[in-house]
Amino acid sequence: MHILGFYITGYQVAFIAVAGITVLSAIGVVLLPNILRAALCLGLMLFGVAGIYALMNAPFLAAVQVMIYVGAITTMIILAIFLSHRVMKIGFSQAIYNPLLAAAAAGVMFLFLFVTVANSVWVRHVAASGPAKSGVGIDAVATALLQPYVFPFELASVVLLAVLIGAVVIAKEDTEDA
Amino acid sequence: MHSAYGIPISWILTVGAMLFCIGLFGMMVRRSAIGMLLSIELMLNAANINLVAFGSYLKLPVIAGQVFAVFVITLAAAEAAVGLAIVINIYRNEQHIDADKISAMKL
Repeated sequence: MHILGFYITGYQVAFIAVAGITVLSAIGVVLLPNILRAALCLGLMLFGVAGIYALMNAPFLAAVQVMIYVGAITTMIILAIFLSHRVMKIGFSQAIYNPLLAAAAAGVMFLFLFVTVANSVWVRHVAASGPAKSGVGIDAVATALLQPYVFPFELASVVLLAVLIGAVVIAKEDTEDA
Repeated sequence: MHSAYGIPISWILTVGAMLFCIGLFGMMVRRSAIGMLLSIELMLNAANINLVAFGSYLKLPVIAGQVFAVFVITLAAAEAAVGLAIVINIYRNEQHIDADKISAMKL
């Protein structure tokens, strides 16, 4: 379709919408003073990232994102907020040192990244190299995880086991006789 | 034509850069330990978006970017578990999770 003289495909419109939701809710995550609302914004932002994955031919990763991030990590964070804040008393200590300075630093960082992306040779090369590959299904991911990447995969399982035991030990209440 | 359904890779990388810088800002501004963990999740997701974009746009082994993103998600879950355990432990001991006042490991 033509908008303001530019030709835009439907996928580009969808991407702009999803990216807008993602960035706006990310801003909500860092700016909302109520930590519970910030965590709910994080859930929305993670949904937006799942949408971006879906638009990038990665349906399996989009599903993983929704299951692990939105389903598990957000729930865990909200649970920790309930355990560690008096949620009803909303205005807890949120001393902000110098938000303008922090915003300036983050803005300089963004300008640097943006100029790098806009000027890099390979971005233009990719733009000229034609359409991306077709979608990658769950079977391809499973094959990759169990054939060329089997060692990092097993390493990740060991790391997860160690992390779970460590988290239980850290969060466990100290008993007198221990 | 540009790429996956006409979305240029520079758009995706720009969104990733935006998310990373927003997370950076939150990291500098928030004093609540959980708020800082939220900002870390933002930055990890920005990195993941870049990985998946490279995987589906560049002439790599097709699956490499997504597999790396899966590993990042795994380690992010691990980080959240340990981080929240530490936060809950600190809250139990000190009744607050203000990162400025936590001084247990200061010399």
